[in-house]
Amino acid sequence: MGASTKNLIRRVWQTLGSIKTGVLLLIITVIISAAGTIILQRPATDPDEIQRAYSPQILRLLDAVGLTDVFHAWWFVLLLALVSLSIIAASIQRFPQAWRFYSRPYKSPDETFRKALPVQAQIAVPDEETGLAAADAAFHKAGFKPERIVRESSFSLFGERNRISEMAVYIVHASLLLIFLGGIVDAVYGWRGFIALTRGEQSTQLQQTAKNRTLPFAIRCDGAGQENYADGTPKRWWSKLAVIEDGREVMRKEIVVNDPLVYRGIRFYQASYGQTGKIDKLVLTATPANGLGQAQEFAIGEGETQSLDPDTTIRLAEFFPDYVLRDGQVYRRSNDLENPAVHFVVESKRTGKAVNVWLPPIPGFEQNAQSPYQIEGKDVQMAYYTGLEVSHEPGQWAVWGGVVLMGFGLAFVFYVVHTRVWAVPVVDPDGRVTLWIGGTANRNKDAFQRRFRDVVQEIEKGLKQQSETYVSTRAASLVTE
Amino acid sequence: MARAKAEQPPVATGTTLLVMVGLGVAFLLFMAFLNVVKSGNLLSESNLLYAALIFYAGAGTLYLGFGVTGTPSYVRFASLATWAGLLANTGAVAHRWYEAGHPPFASIYEMLLSFVWTLAVLTLIAEKKYGVKVIGTVTMPVAILGVVLMQLLRTDVRPLVPALQSTWLHVHVTLAMLAYAACALSFALAMMFLVQDKVKTETFLAATSLFTIGTYIGVLTRFEKWGGLNVIAWNPQERSEVFLSKGVRLFVVIPDLGWLMLVVLAAVTAPFVLYLISRKTGNPGLLDMANRSVFVSILLQIMALAVFLLRARDGQYASLDAEGLYPTSLPASPFILAGLVGGIFVSLLYLLLLWRRSEIERMLPSAEELDLITYRTIAIAFPLLTLMIAAGAYWANRTWGSYWSWDPKETWAAITWLVYAGYLHMRVTRGWRGRRAAYFAILGFAVVMFTFFGVTYLLPGLHAYA
Repeated sequence: MGASTKNLIRRVWQTLGSIKTGVLLLIITVIISAAGTIILQRPATDPDEIQRAYSPQILRLLDAVGLTDVFHAWWFVLLLALVSLSIIAASIQRFPQAWRFYSRPYKSPDETFRKALPVQAQIAVPDEETGLAAADAAFHKAGFKPERIVRESSFSLFGERNRISEMAVYIVHASLLLIFLGGIVDAVYGWRGFIALTRGEQSTQLQQTAKNRTLPFAIRCDGAGQENYADGTPKRWWSKLAVIEDGREVMRKEIVVNDPLVYRGIRFYQASYGQTGKIDKLVLTATPANGLGQAQEFAIGEGETQSLDPDTTIRLAEFFPDYVLRDGQVYRRSNDLENPAVHFVVESKRTGKAVNVWLPPIPGFEQNAQSPYQIEGKDVQMAYYTGLEVSHEPGQWAVWGGVVLMGFGLAFVFYVVHTRVWAVPVVDPDGRVTLWIGGTANRNKDAFQRRFRDVVQEIEKGLKQQSETYVSTRAASLVTE
Repeated sequence: MARAKAEQPPVATGTTLLVMVGLGVAFLLFMAFLNVVKSGNLLSESNLLYAALIFYAGAGTLYLGFGVTGTPSYVRFASLATWAGLLANTGAVAHRWYEAGHPPFASIYEMLLSFVWTLAVLTLIAEKKYGVKVIGTVTMPVAILGVVLMQLLRTDVRPLVPALQSTWLHVHVTLAMLAYAACALSFALAMMFLVQDKVKTETFLAATSLFTIGTYIGVLTRFEKWGGLNVIAWNPQERSEVFLSKGVRLFVVIPDLGWLMLVVLAAVTAPFVLYLISRKTGNPGLLDMANRSVFVSILLQIMALAVFLLRARDGQYASLDAEGLYPTSLPASPFILAGLVGGIFVSLLYLLLLWRRSEIERMLPSAEELDLITYRTIAIAFPLLTLMIAAGAYWANRTWGSYWSWDPKETWAAITWLVYAGYLHMRVTRGWRGRRAAYFAILGFAVVMFTFFGVTYLLPGLHAYA
């Protein structure tokens, strides 16, 4: 029983790691992702548009299967998890062999290996030592740092370059897993929200999220604005933000569209900018209605009260950026400064009499004639809000780390070649010595072949130069033989 | 113009072609010069582009001539013409950059400008470094098509909206252009490999027929309405599409064009059906008929294009969704236009192969070499694709606060990446070489094309800028 379970687990593990499973999973992922771009997706489209695009039955079916929100469906997450598992299994299953290859390089080739190696050459040499010395020099020149291998009274040479290239595939796979890990962390622990602030306002509360979320610190807007191109299209949105923690201001930054504020891993992005429909500052002139005294100019905000003289105060009671009169009521039609109306209350402390002043004078509401002051509007500055997209992605560093690692990994996979060369002196039964030279490359084999030929030529050249002195000293003895 | 010349090379031999092309280029330059003298501004962007078009057209014709006749002097003059075109193109890019104040990647016009430039550079590299001399036969017509398309698109420099003012965006788009150009090159190489690998000519017939059939079915299913062709209305003053409301385009119906497209669909289907029957029965006579029907289908395709061009350029048409008559324009239907021109181009390439196969085979490097170069090109394209996606994600993260939002363009970029990853795995771990690898490379490029054009014009999404 125990053995068969173990067997089953091993077989599942083996299947998971096979290239067939991997490719199959990738194909399924591709097909489903493609479907997710063709079928309208709930999070990205207007609900009405989906209603219009599909018949109710089909829509119900799509919803039930999760095809209207593919990328957040549980089975899609499961599929990505299976892809990750498959990569892990494949890497673990293949890694030991690759590691052995990496950690214990094959340094002194035996006879079978020497016969089978496709790239090799044989050079006749006078003796072992001369041959090895020439090979040593040539290997050095080609950038291999050869080492001398001693085996049971025989010598050989081994040189290699870029052994790390054998590990490159695992670097790429690891980086991919790192990216997935970051994505999973963000899917589980990350969140997004939105805050709208006007100048001077501060908040800790996120809006427009499924769950109400309170930030551990407050964010305050010290100003926001928009700059336009000559043709009126927006050029730049900016907000001056300050972070307030425990009552102290701890950070200040002006953010623009491509440059967020980051504090304790929480990012504030400039997302939108617009009118709140509220007034920031209204500049007025007040002239005494009896004609005695000077006109005075002053600014007033919504809900504020100002003194006009020691006895009289004015309060900005209501502001309508775009008013409409319906059924004897004043309504707000929109937040745009289209058709404004302002309601003031002018009050006398002495008599306790309050007068409603409307600009423009709306019949049925205004008592403008009874006001001790004639009020005129000079200038209006609307309050603008800045919309901040707030996001917390604790996993993003794993993603960027993974991307950088993948860049390196791919560079190694494609452009760094592990090359090895060997030189082994071989003595045949007649006592003649030949130098066997062999080489391999794990990629880009034809380019290596050319380099190998150069190395062999270099050895032959080296041997020739040596033998010129050698031949002249030994010539006499050779002649007598 | 380029197409008219492209049909001539099989007839022309020896120096005739060279003289013809030289005279053609000289004549066009002379005409352009007369125009310039009148307008006074020699180095304007449109003049530079026009010069680039002339030289690319000359190069394309000469490359075609080389592909067909194998005269080595053609390729020398062709590269000279490509160099001249590239020079003019570089001037246009620099001019644009200077005038706009940002690298030319902000609109589809600017991206095409950069794409054509990259394509010309890669063509010269492939020719000089790898000795793939006929590569221009495929890439130059694509470059010509790009420049012609550019003449139709809105060219004025528009200010960048805040989201696009980012260095990362430029990095992203530059990488995308480089990666896509490398993918295009790998596709051309894979096709050449198939030619060298003795894939039967009739298989190419089937493939090209399927491509044109697919194009016409695509055009008909998406745009056909009551026998007419439903195209987007165009506002000539604004030089933009007409919108009913935000994101909803107004369509107008060009009457009867739908029927014409249906007839052409029948004509391009005929060779494929004949091919299938001949395979079943083993009757070579039918294959002959199929080849002849390709010729007929090209004539009909050219006619359809001409009628479409004439009717879309002038005239006011009624709409099903709104009162009154509206004009339309070629830039409003880039997908149809690209489809029709692509169909003709592919069919012509088939005819070239049919008539001159042995000469082409002699011109091309060996199959093994092409296989290897295809792999190397993808080995360049794949890291570029990876970095392109990463730069895009980083930009999105700085702008919207999320590095991945499964928008269609993103998803399709990821699919492209996966397809090429699949190619590399099959090649390295499974030892896929030759034909299977070539098919994979072709599939990869098809996905690239869909990501580039299909997603923009057929699917909704965030990448509305491009």
